[in-house]
Amino acid sequence: MAKAYLYSKMFFKTFFLQALWNFERLQNIGFLFVLKPFLDKIYSDKEKRREALLRHTGFFNTHPYMANVIIAITANMEQQAADGNLDDVKKINLVKSTMAGPLAAIGDSFFWGTLRPVAAFISIFFVILFSRGLDQKFPAFSIMIPLIFIFIYNIVHLPLRYWFLFISFKLDKESIAFISKLEFKFLWEMARYFGLIIIVASLFFYFNIFGFGPGNTIFFANAVPDALVYGIVLVLATLLGRFSANFMFYSVILLCIAMSYLGL
Amino acid sequence: MITSVFLLAFIAVLCSLDVTAFGQFMLCRPIFCAPLFGFIMGDINTGLWIGMISEMVWIKAIPMGVAVPIDIASISIMATYWSCKYFKGTHEAAMWAMALAIPFAFFYREIDVYGRNFNIRIMHWVEDGINKNKESRINWGLFWGLFFSAARLYAFYLFAMTLGGLIFQLVYCQFPAFVVGGFKKAWSLLPILGFGAVLYNFRNIKIPFMKK
Repeated sequence: MAKAYLYSKMFFKTFFLQALWNFERLQNIGFLFVLKPFLDKIYSDKEKRREALLRHTGFFNTHPYMANVIIAITANMEQQAADGNLDDVKKINLVKSTMAGPLAAIGDSFFWGTLRPVAAFISIFFVILFSRGLDQKFPAFSIMIPLIFIFIYNIVHLPLRYWFLFISFKLDKESIAFISKLEFKFLWEMARYFGLIIIVASLFFYFNIFGFGPGNTIFFANAVPDALVYGIVLVLATLLGRFSANFMFYSVILLCIAMSYLGL
Repeated sequence: MITSVFLLAFIAVLCSLDVTAFGQFMLCRPIFCAPLFGFIMGDINTGLWIGMISEMVWIKAIPMGVAVPIDIASISIMATYWSCKYFKGTHEAAMWAMALAIPFAFFYREIDVYGRNFNIRIMHWVEDGINKNKESRINWGLFWGLFFSAARLYAFYLFAMTLGGLIFQLVYCQFPAFVVGGFKKAWSLLPILGFGAVLYNFRNIKIPFMKK
């Protein structure tokens, strides 16, 4: 029971991992903040605790969700050190720094690069699908759209974050092998395909709603449908994707102003 | 509907703290915070549209490693706030608001970088405390880090909402008709730019049956 309380306390503290993010040692104090209740429990001797705390003031940086794995494994190693079962305490920092990079790569590509965009694309799909009727037919749905994004993202990320901490406490270093067996790459690829399908569907609806028909002649008056302008801009935007987003944003604004000035 | 700039700046701070300082529950994403501000200010649909554009156009702006990208939470919050407060329901004004919010977001990034450098001092203070057996400095250091982040954000949002709002409406009223017409076109064209940015992001995806 006491253990479950301690782990839950540490889990809550992981939300503050980056509260003192700094350019010199990045997440070091956040890491210490999460680990402190555990160190308080295992080191009753003040001097030994001080040494353990100082061990973790060095550079540390990883993905904030995946850090839970490293926190739990480090805690287990500290337990071994406190029990006298670890021959060299330097191994703790070695394991920490070895795991930080690969786990950051998994976290960045899965959570930042895949889950977040996919959850956002689902909301964007609904914005476009109901764009012409949000005011009249679905006033309550407008409120639901951003909540759908938050729900989808957090229903996946929060249990995973919780699970990372607990599974790593339980399995120790074996948790890395266990996580790697989860086929994250497969999940990541599937989510990306799903995201691509959603965004293509959104694009289809956008062209359908705003590209053709009456009321969709804001460019070139009635001469050509707006879909033609959208198509050209879409191709250019995709081809010029490597340019800065700010540059592209202002370029489109200036293009629109130029077209307006020329009466197109 | 909330109109107090002090309260709105506070809500904006809660959203922006989510970027780095606390949680990362994605409350800082434009698709959430722009409609939130739109809802609070009585025009959720403008917020949804601004959120959608920002989310797609700046899809590559991810804070990875030591990189501090442009703060898109502040772009979407400021743009929604200005357009809903001064010209509610006007699409042209919403686009001008987005265009004006970008320099403010760059300004905030500079403040953020300064703040992260300032955190080094707090970090050394904590380390010094541990050396002197003052372990409570770990909690206090974190508290001060969070407090200064919130204070910086609050000062920024108060400044941007008031002074930025003044610039926003004064300049908008001076625009000739063709510029306003251009912003009206941009309302429909910017989502397409966003789609382009998203599709570019998918350029490395491999279709299973086309894999070599």
